[in-house]
Amino acid sequence: MNLGIDFHTHPLLVREMVARHPELVKPARETFYIGNTFQPIRTFLLELDEAGLDKAVLLPIDAQRTRADMVYNNEQVAELCAMEPRFIGFASVDPMRPDAPQLLEHAIKVLGLRGLKLAPAMQEVFADDRRAYPLYEKALELGIPILFHAGMSWEPGSRLAYGQPLRFENVAADFPQLRIVLAHLAWPWVTEAVALALKYPNVYLDTSALYFDNPRDFLTYAMTHIVPLTVFERSLRNQIVFGSNYPRVEIKNMARAVRGLGFSEECQKLVFRENALRLLGGRA
Amino acid sequence: MIIKMERIEVQSTKDMEMIDITSHLERVVKESGLHNGIVLAMTTHTSSGLIVTEGIECLERDVVAHLDRLAPKEAPPGAPGYWHNRYLDFDGRLGFNAGDHLKSILGGINCFFAVENGKVVRGGRQTVYFVEYDGPLARTVIIQVMGEGA
Repeated sequence: MNLGIDFHTHPLLVREMVARHPELVKPARETFYIGNTFQPIRTFLLELDEAGLDKAVLLPIDAQRTRADMVYNNEQVAELCAMEPRFIGFASVDPMRPDAPQLLEHAIKVLGLRGLKLAPAMQEVFADDRRAYPLYEKALELGIPILFHAGMSWEPGSRLAYGQPLRFENVAADFPQLRIVLAHLAWPWVTEAVALALKYPNVYLDTSALYFDNPRDFLTYAMTHIVPLTVFERSLRNQIVFGSNYPRVEIKNMARAVRGLGFSEECQKLVFRENALRLLGGRA
Repeated sequence: MIIKMERIEVQSTKDMEMIDITSHLERVVKESGLHNGIVLAMTTHTSSGLIVTEGIECLERDVVAHLDRLAPKEAPPGAPGYWHNRYLDFDGRLGFNAGDHLKSILGGINCFFAVENGKVVRGGRQTVYFVEYDGPLARTVIIQVMGEGA
């Protein structure tokens, strides 16, 4: 099966993990603020099936310093990936920890995780804070991508300023070999995020943007009216990856919306699979 | 007097589908010891339903397709959208399944049957369906019996 990859999911509602780790209820409800019912892993997989995808990247958030919470720790992500081969686990590390590079190296080399997720707004660290650079150097050395939350954050207490795309420019410029993904099209700064991606080929954008209306209408607005679809198709087709932000939105709904935008078949293959594969080093 | 209730979990596997749960009602009645009374069933979710109709695949398709025509998932382009399409802070996400809630209202969320001599009284063609309008999801249906024992 070589269908496609959802590059942006959060395993917050997995019932089996909550049964094993009851402490995971709190970050789901009080840090990530998701109110839906916990579901068996099977629902997650069926959701991928319904969307015509075969794999999902799982993203944790290390918010221990700022929220006294881990929205999954790296060991829990690895544990879940061991339960289901269709999951691709990312690590999360607090860039302010002196041992952040070592923690990342452990997560990648020992736990088998495949990338790094950072959430500047929740972790309260601007992406271009030089104190985070050792972590970026380690990611580059390990050959893994970094996915940054960018744009607006829903969570109460989070500040929008952390998601401003221009705060990522120095990272893109100072680490031209480091592949970075700006999540959520960095809405409401889609144009600025597109400008970064146009200028820096190591900057990718994921499609997990939904802030009003519905997936079809929102993505049409962001990827047709704010920035013409032709820009994504002609100039950024190698730098767009499909992401849903499940479970804030069902994977099926976001996949249907992206497929309905009007991309060519070639571009859809890139968005749903090939670009994600390249970010992951060539293998799912 | 017997009053017993059971919660069953129904795992839907698609966005929309009808799942036959008739045997669950019959089992609950049998295991309860109910002789004469009623059995009722209700989905506990607002984007799913319970429907009683003839148990054939072609009708399953027609029922779901008809409800989707009456209450489409997304308003047609240019038509007024759903008020539900907004951020729901208590859920931490947007609401954009108004059409599925409306299907649930149109199709109903419960059903009941008489029980006579320990058997569910239903027409020969009547099948009890759990109807998923926004799956795949693990859903909960309650089945309760009330009446006299043998």
